[in-house]
Amino acid sequence: MTGFALRRLLSLPPLLLAVSFGFFAMLRLGRGDPALDYLRLAQIPPTDAALALARAELGLDRPLLAQYGAWLADALRLDLGTSWFTRRPVTAEIAEFLPATLQLAGTAMLVTLAFGIPLGLWAALRRDRWPDHATRLIAFLGVSVPNFWLAFLLVLLFAVTLGWLPAMGRDGPASLVLPALATATMSACVMLRLVRASVLGALGEPHLRFAAARGLPRRTLVGRHVALNAMLPPLTAMGLHLGELIGGAMVVETVFGWPGLGRWALQAIANRDYPVLQGFVMVLTTVFVLGNLLVDLAYAWLDPRIRLERAA
Amino acid sequence: MLRRSLLRALPALTALPALARTAGAAAPARSTLRFSWPANAGPLHPHLYAPNQMYAQAMLYEPLLRYVEGGQLAPALATAWRAEPDGRGHVFTLRPGVRFTDGAPFDAAAVVANIRALLARPERHDWLALVAQIEDAEALGPGTVRLRLRGPYPPALMELALIRPLRFASPAVLRPDGGISAPIGTGPWMLAETRPGQHDLFRRNPHYWGGPPALEQVLVRVAADSNTRALALEAGEIDLAYGTDQLDADTFRRFAADRRFTTAVSPPLATRLLAVNSARFPTDAPAVRHAIARGVDRAALVRHVLLDTEPAAGTLFPENFPHADLGLRAPDFDRAAAAALLEQAGWHLAPGERVRRRAGRALVLDLCFTGSDALQKSLAEAIQGDLARIGIGARLLGEDSATCLGRQKSGDFGLIFAETWGAPYDPHAFLAAMRQPAHADYQAQRGLPMKDEIDRRIGAALAGTDEAARAEEYRWLLTTLHEQAVYFPISFLTNKLVHRADLGTVPFGDTRYEIPFDRILPRG
Repeated sequence: MTGFALRRLLSLPPLLLAVSFGFFAMLRLGRGDPALDYLRLAQIPPTDAALALARAELGLDRPLLAQYGAWLADALRLDLGTSWFTRRPVTAEIAEFLPATLQLAGTAMLVTLAFGIPLGLWAALRRDRWPDHATRLIAFLGVSVPNFWLAFLLVLLFAVTLGWLPAMGRDGPASLVLPALATATMSACVMLRLVRASVLGALGEPHLRFAAARGLPRRTLVGRHVALNAMLPPLTAMGLHLGELIGGAMVVETVFGWPGLGRWALQAIANRDYPVLQGFVMVLTTVFVLGNLLVDLAYAWLDPRIRLERAA
Repeated sequence: MLRRSLLRALPALTALPALARTAGAAAPARSTLRFSWPANAGPLHPHLYAPNQMYAQAMLYEPLLRYVEGGQLAPALATAWRAEPDGRGHVFTLRPGVRFTDGAPFDAAAVVANIRALLARPERHDWLALVAQIEDAEALGPGTVRLRLRGPYPPALMELALIRPLRFASPAVLRPDGGISAPIGTGPWMLAETRPGQHDLFRRNPHYWGGPPALEQVLVRVAADSNTRALALEAGEIDLAYGTDQLDADTFRRFAADRRFTTAVSPPLATRLLAVNSARFPTDAPAVRHAIARGVDRAALVRHVLLDTEPAAGTLFPENFPHADLGLRAPDFDRAAAAALLEQAGWHLAPGERVRRRAGRALVLDLCFTGSDALQKSLAEAIQGDLARIGIGARLLGEDSATCLGRQKSGDFGLIFAETWGAPYDPHAFLAAMRQPAHADYQAQRGLPMKDEIDRRIGAALAGTDEAARAEEYRWLLTTLHEQAVYFPISFLTNKLVHRADLGTVPFGDTRYEIPFDRILPRG
């Protein structure tokens, strides 16, 4: 198990290297002139002299590989450059905004699990009865509604009409409720469908009929033989949901004025703030890989076959 | 079963208002105004630009002279001023007893220290002619300072009223590398707290020379999205929305119809326009430019797209701006007359065709806008429709703002959206920038046969010492640009404000970016 975790951790640096170079090259070789973006953000008139100065200042007059090498050398010292817009170190901004995003994505993940697993289980155990139909309808609506639109609906209902919850900001637990709901809804509904399908699959396994024939009580059958076996596919999906939740948080953070990494990145996209975008992609890749590593470890912990196979 | 489930969920529902009360407990006291802005205030350096937000710079830092609506100047940190006979020197008498918020006196030495800090990095201020004109500043006494220019520059006093870069921080915070160690000014407000991505908190300056503001604090919450701002206003989480585009026109109209809110629209502050490229086919032909001027229904744009939140603009600058009251009028909208102009110029519409042709070339132009700007997109679509009705094809090019800027710089556009800079930059600083190839205005005018004369006369208007001659230069310049139809003015930009009716009195600032928090009088 430790060896597996170490191997996965060791795969992170080459992956980050590949992603960083790919993204760096895409930004520089894409449409537009980074020097022009830089001057626009600094509100400096883009005269030919100013453009030449900006290109020299940013190292844009050097070959792409040399530019990347310089960036990499700084990045290895945890210096991801300076935002062209705010003029602050990207690393400092990540440190400021990442906790809010992790809080939102973490809460949304909890909501996803708390909603998706029990309802999926409930729907499967009452297949083709009203709970099944109702949860399937909810799941259908939940995956169809865009999260930004749902976010506005939630604000209209709970903040403007009822006045129960704040419409924006990050001022205590109450302000987390609506953003977490808006972020989690789609993932929770996907999770619900996945758990339902997975439980139905587990219910049809021959060992379950055998266990029932042995006279095991229903609670034990469902709790030990169905639920645990059915958790493996949703667990795998959790790794993917992590990326989805952080990605989904981009729009939701903007709607709720949530001071997180997603809103920061969205502004950087609008501003074409290259150092910020590069830093954001690095963080996103790291979080995604580490999240999936955790999921894989949990997977091995849950399923003895994997654990034993790896040990062998 | 269902009933049992609902009953189980009830305690959770009843807990929600309790959570809301927790949130409400953190709400600021009544003497705090809650406002919102798309970004944090920034480091608040008085001499620098982005990411410093102009409204916040204006809260902390003050000018020697203040711009007053209509183009006049009023005393601010200087109580009196006079020009020296050679036109190169300006002597200012400083307001006595003024102190920075760190306790340091505002005196001639502070003015000199700030101006020298500014002159140490002049390349940052290339766009502003005054910075290049300043030779030096010298203290003639503790309360008197002389600004020495390289040559006569009559707009100098007006440019001293700008929000940046000619305002003053305490000399103690000016660092040798050009930065500041803390945002310390003489203004009515002090920055008390900044939380990136969340808010900025300003406290009133209790020793402000003009008397402390009635409000104790201004809390500026960061909300990038205008819909979020509108909902926060409606939910009572912010008290005021103020600005040119802080709320979209539809939302503003909705608030205007709601008795719980007070809304107001300021006098014209700048101009929303299309620059028409005189150096590029087909708008290089005067007949095409004049046909556009007559064939686009400006009143309909204002009524249906801007929802009457901005007045229609017939001229490059509003008439309440200096030198702009010339009696110029936009040609009346007349589709038949526009089509006739094109016919006379040889642009004919073949049967069954939608676009006119002349000598085999189709009358098609590029209409460029910022793709993420919903308002520009709607205006562009309406203009495209109007142009189609007179046989001009318009290709809509919605791109990111950097690409649009690139097009403005290179002249790669037929029509492109732009704005004038507003008071106190207009008209003189805006005209000065028309001489720089990096600006859309230069590119739009490049094809005019009198472009050299325009540039020469702009120089004369800026540097001349004879006021009557300068006025005549302005008259010629604005009339020529108007007659050549290289601009299609759409509307005059206004500031819009919305606040809860019980907030009190909220006046408008004299310029686009000044929000007069210090003059807000809360009710009760």
